Amino acid sequence: MTEENNRLSQVKRFSGAAFCVECGRCVAVCPMAEMYGNFSIEMSPRGIIRKALTEGAEILRDENLWYCTECNAGTDVCPQGVSCRDLVRGLREMVLEEGRAETVASCRHCGKPFAALPVERFVFRRLEKEPMNVLVFLEYCPSCRRALYSRRNA
Amino acid sequence: MNGGSEKAADLRKSAEQGGKPCPFLELGDLRPALKPRERFSERFMPPRNGMLVFDPSRCTGCGTCEMVCGMRNVSRVAPASASVRVLRNGAEGRNFAVHCQHCRKPLCLEACPTRAISRGEDGIVRIDRIFCTGCGLCTMACPEAAPLRDPATQTIRKCDLCDGDPLCARNCPEGALTYTRGKAFRWIKGLRWTVQTLSFLLLVVILVGTFCFFRAGVVSLSCPTGTLQNIASTKTVILSTVLSALALVVLTLLAGRLFCGWICPFGFVLDLVGKVVPAKVRPPRWFANRLNKYGVLAGAVGGSFALGYQAFCTVCPIGTLCRSYGVQGFFRSAELAIVPALAALEVTERRSWCRYLCPVGALLALVASAGLIKIVIGAKKCKKFSCIQCAEVCPMGIIDGDLLREGVSPKVPMKECISCFRCVDRCPYGAAKIRFRWQKGIPGEGRP
Repeated sequence: MTEENNRLSQVKRFSGAAFCVECGRCVAVCPMAEMYGNFSIEMSPRGIIRKALTEGAEILRDENLWYCTECNAGTDVCPQGVSCRDLVRGLREMVLEEGRAETVASCRHCGKPFAALPVERFVFRRLEKEPMNVLVFLEYCPSCRRALYSRRNA
Repeated sequence: MNGGSEKAADLRKSAEQGGKPCPFLELGDLRPALKPRERFSERFMPPRNGMLVFDPSRCTGCGTCEMVCGMRNVSRVAPASASVRVLRNGAEGRNFAVHCQHCRKPLCLEACPTRAISRGEDGIVRIDRIFCTGCGLCTMACPEAAPLRDPATQTIRKCDLCDGDPLCARNCPEGALTYTRGKAFRWIKGLRWTVQTLSFLLLVVILVGTFCFFRAGVVSLSCPTGTLQNIASTKTVILSTVLSALALVVLTLLAGRLFCGWICPFGFVLDLVGKVVPAKVRPPRWFANRLNKYGVLAGAVGGSFALGYQAFCTVCPIGTLCRSYGVQGFFRSAELAIVPALAALEVTERRSWCRYLCPVGALLALVASAGLIKIVIGAKKCKKFSCIQCAEVCPMGIIDGDLLREGVSPKVPMKECISCFRCVDRCPYGAAKIRFRWQKGIPGEGRP
């Protein structure tokens, strides 16, 4: 447990989460608000930061951690230099190292996790009109997809 | 500020003061810049959308494209910041450059949560830097994963074709990446419309009733389906009639159903109607079956056998059209009503009469399945996601665009092909070709 707490504080320090002043700018620019109908304060970057600061390791068991697309929007606008992207990425890495991979989509070819499940579901929902043979590409991670594409065309 | 940016700022300043038009073309000066060829036809036609074409057999994996592209993106030599990535395969000696294909229906555009991606009038898919958050969903949606993540800044880099003059194509030392605008002049299209118009005039206006039977001295030509019905109704075989029907059969053996695409007057009417009427209504399943036309053929022959006269020929739209002109023709106006009635089928699919019903086409289809030529489409030479124009223009709908997208060369059934060569004419990359039946090579894949 202490190791987990050490790691958690390391992630928090690396992302500068302790400097958050809860101004809400990251929530204002967050693309998740447009992506998900159930967007909530718990899901927003501010909610994740607050939970990571106040409840510690509880955040690792929270499914709201997996909606983020790890974009630069919140990091870019933060007046305090908090990188919510790095925080979410670090927290997700911790969960994956524990071996709980049920919340991520893994590449069909190399097996590496490459996207959170809600994010992948969003992409599939946006592309549901596309033919099936195009959608099968989405089950591979980007680097494998590039390699497969080149193998078929080179 | 590091040194690179300062130098770039200096260059930019010198450019503003009337130096070079673009400060990042330094590398382009190593080779003589290719002047875009101005073609005569471009003065009359609107400019066509350009496209990057990659030839894997020429790529040496030198990475010049990455270098110049990174130069344009971040104004220093940074291949990781490029919008193009070269995948090097040393073991097999094959390299591949992954770059944006500028799809006609971009998947990244659909997936972008902030709607930062747009497709311009010039066919270039661009990312609007103001709205892009760098989430990478475009990379997840792209079948090729062409939008690349810049590891230094975590932003997404995607090709914008340098606004119509790609540096990578200009600097590629081996000519593996080239920039093309496709064909300037589609001569098959002009030839086909000319032939169709002339044959319509000849068959309908000048020589009345010629398609069904025509005789000038010793030369006689006749409709093969009509001849079959004639034999069935009269139960006698006249050798000269059979021989005159063979002319069309021989033409079909040589060049596929060239009659349907180039000569048939009703096909010409359908093509004209198809220019105006949009194909929107989905035909019912039982109707949209290509085997129907063989049923119509059997019914026509069987009907004439039972009735003793050529019943189908009285309502055949091709024959009716041919007999319609002149004093005699106006009395057949009730018969002529079949032409607009069948032309109205164009609201379902292009040439739906030819696809599903025409008995003449059915007979020619049986012959064409043993024909001399075939049409091959090489998926490796084709641009897939960005194009699929061949499948769009095919009036018979026999080119499988989904298969092409997958990267598999589709087989074109010559039985259904009307040899209009629209696909060959339209393909900007030379992937669709006319070949003899026994030739094995597919464009872009070489010979097996």
